[in-house]
Amino acid sequence: MDILYLLIPLSAVLVLAILAVFGWALHRGQFDDLDREGLRILQAEAPAVDGDQVAARPAPEQ
Amino acid sequence: MTPPTPAAALTADPALAVLDDPAELPRFTRFADLADGTRLADSALRLGGMHCAACADLIEQALAAVPGVRSVSVSAAGQRARVQWAPSQTSVAAIVAAIRRAGYDASPDAALAAREAWQQEGRRALWRLFVAAFCAMQVMMMATPSYVAHGDELAPDLRQLLNWGSWLLSLPVLAFSAGPFFAGAWRSLRQRRIGMDVPVALGIAVTFIASSGATFAPGGAFGHEVYFDSMTMFIAFLLGGRWLETRARHRVAQVLEAAVDSLPATALRLQDDERIEAVSVQRLRPGDRVRVPVGQAFPGDGVLLQGSTRADESLLTGESAAVAKACGAALVGGSVNTGAPVVMRLDRVGDDTRLAAIVALMRDAMSQRPDVARVADRWAAPFLWAVLLLAAGAGAVWAVVAPERAVWVVVSVLIVTCPCALSLAAPSAMLAAASALARRGVLLQRLDALAAWGRVRRVYLDKTGTVTDERLQPQTLQRLPALAVPAWAGWDDERLRALAVSLAAWSAHPLSQALQEWGAAGDGVVWRDVHEQAGAGVDARDEAGRQWRLGAAAFVAGAATAADGALGTDAAGPAVWLGCDGVALARIAFDETLRPDAVATVAALRAQGLEVVLLSGDRAERAERMGHRLGVDAVVAQATPERKLAEVVAAQAAGLAVVMVGDGINDAPVLARADVSVAMGQGALIARAQADATLASGRLADLVWMRDLSRRTMRVVRQNIGWAVGYNLACIPLALGGFLPPWAAGLGMASSSLLVIANAVRLAH
Repeated sequence: MDILYLLIPLSAVLVLAILAVFGWALHRGQFDDLDREGLRILQAEAPAVDGDQVAARPAPEQ
Repeated sequence: MTPPTPAAALTADPALAVLDDPAELPRFTRFADLADGTRLADSALRLGGMHCAACADLIEQALAAVPGVRSVSVSAAGQRARVQWAPSQTSVAAIVAAIRRAGYDASPDAALAAREAWQQEGRRALWRLFVAAFCAMQVMMMATPSYVAHGDELAPDLRQLLNWGSWLLSLPVLAFSAGPFFAGAWRSLRQRRIGMDVPVALGIAVTFIASSGATFAPGGAFGHEVYFDSMTMFIAFLLGGRWLETRARHRVAQVLEAAVDSLPATALRLQDDERIEAVSVQRLRPGDRVRVPVGQAFPGDGVLLQGSTRADESLLTGESAAVAKACGAALVGGSVNTGAPVVMRLDRVGDDTRLAAIVALMRDAMSQRPDVARVADRWAAPFLWAVLLLAAGAGAVWAVVAPERAVWVVVSVLIVTCPCALSLAAPSAMLAAASALARRGVLLQRLDALAAWGRVRRVYLDKTGTVTDERLQPQTLQRLPALAVPAWAGWDDERLRALAVSLAAWSAHPLSQALQEWGAAGDGVVWRDVHEQAGAGVDARDEAGRQWRLGAAAFVAGAATAADGALGTDAAGPAVWLGCDGVALARIAFDETLRPDAVATVAALRAQGLEVVLLSGDRAERAERMGHRLGVDAVVAQATPERKLAEVVAAQAAGLAVVMVGDGINDAPVLARADVSVAMGQGALIARAQADATLASGRLADLVWMRDLSRRTMRVVRQNIGWAVGYNLACIPLALGGFLPPWAAGLGMASSSLLVIANAVRLAH
């Protein structure tokens, strides 16, 4: 039961942290246009990544 | 939105240059001076031609490629774009041209500021609600152990810890979510008034202080009980109710915005040398000639100069079927040209247009508080004082009887009583009715007229311009004695009528044009040597060589011209004569055209038990005839404005509430005196009509519908007031008796307001 003395304050702080993060995301406009996000992967000009998920340098235009 | 054409995309469009006009730019663009001295413009555009979310990317890429564009954000759902650009490097014209090259269309988004304001307000309200609900959820979890634990199952220090946790999680709710309640209470206290937020703010403050005291000094002055769960829960419920209310208000704002938006941003003005120049609508002046392409709205009120078209005037009439417009017809700014490209002359622009008048009327009506609501507001203050006293009294009594429940009861009493349902009862219903009326083309200027309509026992109809419109209509064909000779034996009325109609087709006189609508022309009549004598009549020969004349009596009887110049009017009213070889054979009498729905409207009003009286300045005989056609109860003829006023005053003295329906200008004193005044909205007169309601649609039948709606509105108002009073009467004793926990009080208060609004919204459909 002693663990509760740690978990309860922790959960209270966590709730506030979650709220803050969500509020930040909301106010940054991340939920403004949900329709487009699913199509982003199809975008031709999205920066390519290599096997290590490192953004490759865009190829010079021909 | 017109689909983009490839041709327009390839050539630089001169119309686009207008967008950079300094008169136009501030309507949709904001400027900001950056720290490094450069200027940045932020423009809002409406997009056309978007059909899926992927289009947004294409537009963003197209814009990003324009030099000088700093950032772009396209909303696929709203079909709008925000573009930040440097005025030194590019222009709106270049930006719109780039969008067009990408295959889409863009137009300035002028309503940006208003929409952004309420969008932001709505978003903030939602965020407050979310914070409150989310925290309330967590606080409830922390509170659960103390509800389920029996006796000593919960160690005191663990209970203390849970209380601290609850207190911590209540802080954001108190400081952020409940902000509007405290702000509202503070505002009304500073004005030395008592507002609806005062008991709520007091309730929140009392709960928080008492619970904090119990948390940090257990067993002290505030005892052991904490109410964080109740407090967060009722704040969440109240905010939920407010959020839904705000949304209902914004819908009204959106209707207004749509109306304001219906004027186009640019117009194609014809210069004196017939060259076309694109200008901002702000720069149009009365007298300008403009070209209006198909699909665009007319930029102001005016007259059709060239061509004929159809116009969608649903903004005035609620009728979506397009109206045919011939050359010379009046056009209404904001209505949409749906037929063919035309040229119009502007008579009124900007704030003088009918559209501007309608928008102003709607704004006025929306900001009014009807009498019923003012009565409710007057009762709100004593009611709130009573609530505060009751709460204090209950607190004192419970502190003696059962101290641990005292705070709880006080808070319940403060929260559950809801004067907001009472004060929303009337205005919400009346506004819903007003917006339903506006959609039908009936503009309500005084909300109280709705209450008065239900009491009305007598309807006064003005004749000219109200039950009739300006056009004349052929009524009867009267055979003259000359027809009695045997030579005219085979000529019955029908044959004479057909002949007159076929002859009338050669004349442009209004009476001839009215005659043409009387029926099919007789076939086989071939006219030769047709001459029209202005102001006298038409003169033509048939195959047999007989000379027929149609026109004024003297002209038909053989005079070369009509000396008196007055075509076809004698003592009995307007008429034309038909004659052959200098002998008048028949007389065709004209009468004013009844509005198509006039007879049905009078019948419907009488069926509802109303007395209908026709008021007319016309001669007794004609007024009687018109009254007979309409089927009214009584006719008052030869009525001067003073006589009309006396008539209305006499009816009111006899205890009858009256409606006066007039054209709004000549009847102004009578309209002002009547219990309800309705003006027929014709032309630009809407703006000057001093009436409670204006029938912009010109449909008399809307009178009947308006009566139905006002009766339903008053029924809803009575239901709402009954509900609000009943709710308070039922809940205050429950709260005083300690049967109502604070969270239930919050739920009850929010739902009582919502029920009132939901009941009112029924009227809008």
